[in-house]
Amino acid sequence: MKAITFEINGRRYEREVPEYKTLLHYLREDLGFTGTKEGCGAGECGACTLIMNGKPVNSCLVLAVEADGAVIETIEGEAREGKLTIVQKSFDEHHAVQCGFCTGGMIMSVKDLLRRNSSPERAEVIEGIEGNFCRCTGYEQIIEAVLDAAGRGAAEEIRQRDAAASSKKGGRDV
Amino acid sequence: MLHEFAYHRPASLEEALGFLKEKGSAATVFAGGTDLFVNIRAGVAKPGTVVDLKGIPALRTLSWDDREGLSIGACVTVNELLQHPETSRYYPVLHAAGEELATYQLRNRATVVGNIVTASPCGDFGSPLLTLSGEVVLLSADGERRVPLRDFITGVKKTIIKPEEIVARVIVPVTWAGAAGGYEKLKRIKGHDLGVVSVAMIRHNGAIRCAVSSAAPTPVLLPDMPASSPVKEVQDKAQEMISPIDDVRCTREYRAFMVNVFIERLMKHLESARQEASA
Ligand SMILES: Cc1cc2nc3c(=O)[nH]c(=O)nc-3n(C[C@H](O)[C@H](O)[C@H](O)COP(=O)(O)OP(=O)(O)OC[C@H]3O[C@@H](n4cnc5c(N)ncnc54)[C@H](O)[C@@H]3O)c2cc1C
Ligand code: FES
Ligand code: FES
Repeated sequence: MKAITFEINGRRYEREVPEYKTLLHYLREDLGFTGTKEGCGAGECGACTLIMNGKPVNSCLVLAVEADGAVIETIEGEAREGKLTIVQKSFDEHHAVQCGFCTGGMIMSVKDLLRRNSSPERAEVIEGIEGNFCRCTGYEQIIEAVLDAAGRGAAEEIRQRDAAASSKKGGRDV
Repeated sequence: MLHEFAYHRPASLEEALGFLKEKGSAATVFAGGTDLFVNIRAGVAKPGTVVDLKGIPALRTLSWDDREGLSIGACVTVNELLQHPETSRYYPVLHAAGEELATYQLRNRATVVGNIVTASPCGDFGSPLLTLSGEVVLLSADGERRVPLRDFITGVKKTIIKPEEIVARVIVPVTWAGAAGGYEKLKRIKGHDLGVVSVAMIRHNGAIRCAVSSAAPTPVLLPDMPASSPVKEVQDKAQEMISPIDDVRCTREYRAFMVNVFIERLMKHLESARQEASA
């Protein structure tokens, strides 16, 4: 076991974690963050995508101990008090969610894409979600949802939330 | 589930090298873990301790200068390489190959050095780094050695690295800086598949250099040829040197055929790039 400190969705955690446990399993099994899914467990499907220190990664290939000092964002941090983000609303309206298994990881990839590029072209959206498999929708609805969300100020919403979070620094201890 | 192993994160090179000397093959180093954790999960790798190199600042550097060339530290990720302006300016073949590797989020973890140490015949950095005469800098508690990449990789997933050594960096010399270059990779699904076969090519001072991956146990570097060589001559040379096999991904014949297609495509591409540059 190793003692580590990390932040998830603005909350600080201090925990002892088993050294051989993946971040994905630790989040799901020990902390109850089950919005991040395990599809393949081997870096291929993207269902486990979360943002770690500002970069989307496949959490099935990251150890929990590697998250020491890290700032982590998962799908649970998106909707606040029952209010969906622009991206989430757009996924809903465009029927970009069917079974929902890919959605958590997909939305984290989209969030990162919109941070890097506030108004992506269609090809850039496709590239941005290249690491996220969806077995239901055929992708078309997802691409439409992202383009529409970008047109409705999704990147600006993300920027404002980032600014609010950084002015609050530190986070609450859990 | 992963088997129970210990995790060690040294903060300096000295600490890491001392630890490896003591533990020998019971310890396995990693950077991105995109090969190692897949192998652990599959039961192929069973390290007692995994040693995370990312806490060592000296291994994070990615730098270019006009005497030493490009130096890619062990912890430099593929995305960091792709975002590095001098890499795309001076070594377009490396940039093109990096873009073909896996997916965006995987490239945030996967490293260039990890790719070389894995030494898969279908790894995307093997052939471009061969065309650029890449060199590998190995470190152990007993000292440093520097070997050309062509001598570093010895077989399918085999290299000359010793258990107590790490690769500190890969160096791309200035010799080929500025060479036009391209990379063609056949795969089934972009981002989710290793290459079925791939070809890297650069063109500089009237010469072309070409290397082929996934068509022999190690990436194969062809001898330098005049850029004015007929396409067929280069294709024949490649066919003479490769030894493709049948496997789950495709047949031997298809691999050999695609090598020729890619050579022709790259020679045309580099020729028109030259004409545009001189126009
Ligand atoms: C879904 C998926 C898709 C992939 N697609 C591609 C692809 O398209 N093309 C491709 O080429 N590869 C691909 N890979 C393989 C892999 O991502 C790459 O080889 C990557 O570059 C490895 O880097 P890493 O830092 O993650 O390696 P790690 O897993 O950290 O290490 C790989 C190996 O090298 C050793 N090692 C690492 N660094 C050092 C060092 N500094 N000194 C000594 N030994 C070291 C480790 O012990 C291990 O054996 C894919 C992998 C996955 C999971
Ligand atoms: S579960 Fe991590 S990529 Fe599939
Ligand atoms: S909605 Fe089912 S996998 Fe994407």
